[in-house]
Formats: sequence, C-alpha cells, structure tokens
Amino acid sequence: MGNWERLVWNQRDVLLQGLLVTIEICAIAFAVAIVMGLGLALIRLYVRPLRWIAGFWIEYCRATPIFVQLMWVNYVWPELIGWPTSFYTAGWVALALQSSGYLAETFRAGIENIGRGQREAAAAVGMSPILAFRRIVLPQVLVMIAPTIVTQFTVIVKSSTLVSVITVQDLMFQSQRLVNVWYEPIEILTATAALYILFIFAVSALGKALADRLRLRYGLGT
Amino acid sequence: MADAASTPPCVEVVDLHKRFGPLEVLRGVSTRVDRGSVVSIIGASGSGKSTLLRCINYLELPTSGEVRIDGEAVGFERRPDGQVRKRSAREIARFRQDLGMVFQQFNLWPHLTVLGNVVEAPLRVRGMPKREAMELGRACLARVQLSEKADEYPARLSGGQQQRVAIARALAMQPKVMLFDEATSALDPELTGEVLEVMRGLAADGTTMIVVTHEMAFAREVSDRAIYLHNGLIEEEGPPAQVFGDPKSDRCRQFLAKLLH
Repeated sequence: MGNWERLVWNQRDVLLQGLLVTIEICAIAFAVAIVMGLGLALIRLYVRPLRWIAGFWIEYCRATPIFVQLMWVNYVWPELIGWPTSFYTAGWVALALQSSGYLAETFRAGIENIGRGQREAAAAVGMSPILAFRRIVLPQVLVMIAPTIVTQFTVIVKSSTLVSVITVQDLMFQSQRLVNVWYEPIEILTATAALYILFIFAVSALGKALADRLRLRYGLGT
Repeated sequence: MADAASTPPCVEVVDLHKRFGPLEVLRGVSTRVDRGSVVSIIGASGSGKSTLLRCINYLELPTSGEVRIDGEAVGFERRPDGQVRKRSAREIARFRQDLGMVFQQFNLWPHLTVLGNVVEAPLRVRGMPKREAMELGRACLARVQLSEKADEYPARLSGGQQQRVAIARALAMQPKVMLFDEATSALDPELTGEVLEVMRGLAADGTTMIVVTHEMAFAREVSDRAIYLHNGLIEEEGPPAQVFGDPKSDRCRQFLAKLLH
C-alpha cells in the first residue's frame, strides 16, 4: 500500500485539480453543444435556404475524428479567423463541435417524433409557431431525448482526455505528468481510470434519475 | 331570425374549394352558421367534412373561396380602396383564438397538467393575469365535470376524460364558435356518452357549435341544422327532422339507411 499512498494519495491535490479542469471543460463543451445542436437541428428542419449548410456542418462534425477536429481547431482556426487564442478554448470548442453534430440529429429526430396533432392543437388556440415550439414541442422533446443527451455527455468526458495533448491541464494531463515523474504507471493510471469511472457513473446515474422522474411525472411509463 | 339579414352570421363559408394535389376534397361549399345555433355535418368518410372544419380555422389552407367570422374574412383583408391583401400567419392565429377546436385524437399536451393544458393559451396567448386564468381554467373544468382532475397529467385519464379536458381547453379561450372534429370517434363506445353529455350541455347554454360527427342520434337531437356532405359538396341541408327523417336526396337517404342496418 505504500506505493498507493506515495503516488496517489499524496498527489491527490494534483489529480483533483485535473479532475476539476476536466469537469469544467466538459460542462462548457456540453452546454455549447446543446445550444448549437438545437440551433443546427432547427435550421436543418425549418430554414430552407440554410438547410444544406446545416446538413454539411452536421455531417462534418460527425464524420471527423475528434483528434483531427481538436488539431484543426487548435492550429487552423487561429490562422483563419484569429480564434481561439488559448489551448483551453480550443479544447472545449472541439469537444462542443463534435457533440453538436450528434445532438443536432438527436434533436431533429425528437422534434420529428412529436405528432402533428400537438402542434395543431397549439395553432388551434392561436399560438404562433415559435410559442408552440417553445411551450409544447421543446419540453416534450427534452423529456424524450434526455437519456441520449446524458450519453452524449459521457462521450464528451471520454473524448476530453485528448485535450491533454494540446497541454490543457486536465485529469489525463496531470496523471501523465505524474507517471513521467516517477515512471510508475500502475497506481497512477489505475487511480485515474477510477476517477473517470466515478465521474461518468455519477453523471449517468444523475441523468437517468432526472429523466425517469420527468417521464414518471408525465405518466409516460418507466 | 329577424336580424339575421342585418348582422353577419357567426361563421360564413363561401364557395370553398380545397384540393390536395389532383384530389379535390371540397368542390364549392357555401353555408352559414348563426350565433347560438348548432350545425352538424354528416357524411361518409372521405366526403370532406373534416377538411371543411379544418378549413374554417385555416388548419388547412383553402384552395379558393372564403371563410368569414362575424363578417370578416379569415384568409385575406379587403381594403377600403378595394385591394385584397393576404393575411399573415399572425393575423390568422388571431382569428383562431376565437375558434375553439376539439380534435378526434384529443391532442392534449402530455407534459402539462390538466389545468395547465386549459390555462396555457389564456396565459400565453391572451396574456391573462395568472390568478384570473386559473379561475377561468377551474370554471371550464367544472363545466366538463373534471374539477377533481385539475392536477393530474393527461396520461392518467381515460379517453373520455381526456376529450372533456380538450373541450375545456378550447372553452378557456372563450371562443365565438366551437368546432368538433369527430370528437367521439376515437373513444370506446362506453365512453362516448360522457363527452356527448358535455356537448349537449354546451348546446343548451347557447354555444355556437359546428359538429362533424358519426353520432346520428346526437346530431338529430341537438342540432338546429344538419348538413349532409357527399364528394365535397353539400348534398342535403336543413332542419334535422327533414335531413334525418325525410331527406330529399337519394344519396342521403341511402347513407342514413346504411347506418341503421
């Protein structure tokens, strides 16, 4: 047990600091991905002139490896548009981009799944399409796709380990640094894996509990 | 009926056509519904009766012809200078506030409580203060005898109860006219009674109603006038005693005879 104490317990501050950065970067990426995903889905569904751009963008985000995207955002964007200016920003941007493509398709499927009758009932009482979307369609879509959204968050967490490559000091980065100091990977990497498992498990459990509660509340079955 | 000529009818349909691609579902329908009267529309499936109802509140865009509510055309505006302007979606939505619609499939919003379904439009569309909307919502639920279900979610109600909530939801907008699109067709036979009972009550209170229905006994009993549609045209129209008892048209006679056997 001496090794565990020396390599993991005594380094807990460094590892937890890394975990904090991981949580932070994932949370930002997730929030941005949801907003972008919804926006892309709406454009693809309802803004005819821009539909092909949204479609192309979604396919691009889904079809490129996250590592390529990360490199591209980190090294190409600054040359093209002068942004992002930090590795940290490049990290969450790349993570958000990829997830936005998947979430856009999830939102689209969810929106298309809401029966026409729901919108017609809203129109029949005089609601505008925008009000009907906000009050009637979107809440139902969110309940329906909540499990998929949670899964997407866990994907972001797992992909986020790659930002260590561009020196963002997340959990993976700190863990590798410790390994490189002592050349004793077993305990450190095992502890790192355990931290990722705990984090993802906590998020999944929380998300599932939330989704189940919503579905139960609306009497939509278990 | 002395003032019928001077004041415009509550709903007036003039030479309405509706075409879906090559199929002409309505081929020139004209009729009027006076305030406080109940008109039932009967006919075989595919005769165009639901389409007619859906054209009245512009859920379907008529191909040509006119729908007027209290003398005002829903789809376009005649300017004083004689020019005709198509109305925007927003203006048409404004008309729909005065046209309560009850659907065959209820179409309640599952993520809102029963009371939430009823007060949604008064709150968000009419901009009514919350307390007032809640009072109105509860009054509407009382009218359909569902006060005790106010805080339930729709999925926990029977079909008949759901349809009564849908009626309350439409009533909460205090519409000029209520449109019923086969309101009992999706219900088990033992549940149609409670919905028809509520509709009977509305008719007795003087609500203007247009009722597309397969419930002939109900139509005969409650309507002031019945319309028999066939292939997108009004084939027979008149007091229910005439339409159901002694129709002039052979097709209407055959249609009714088939239902009796």
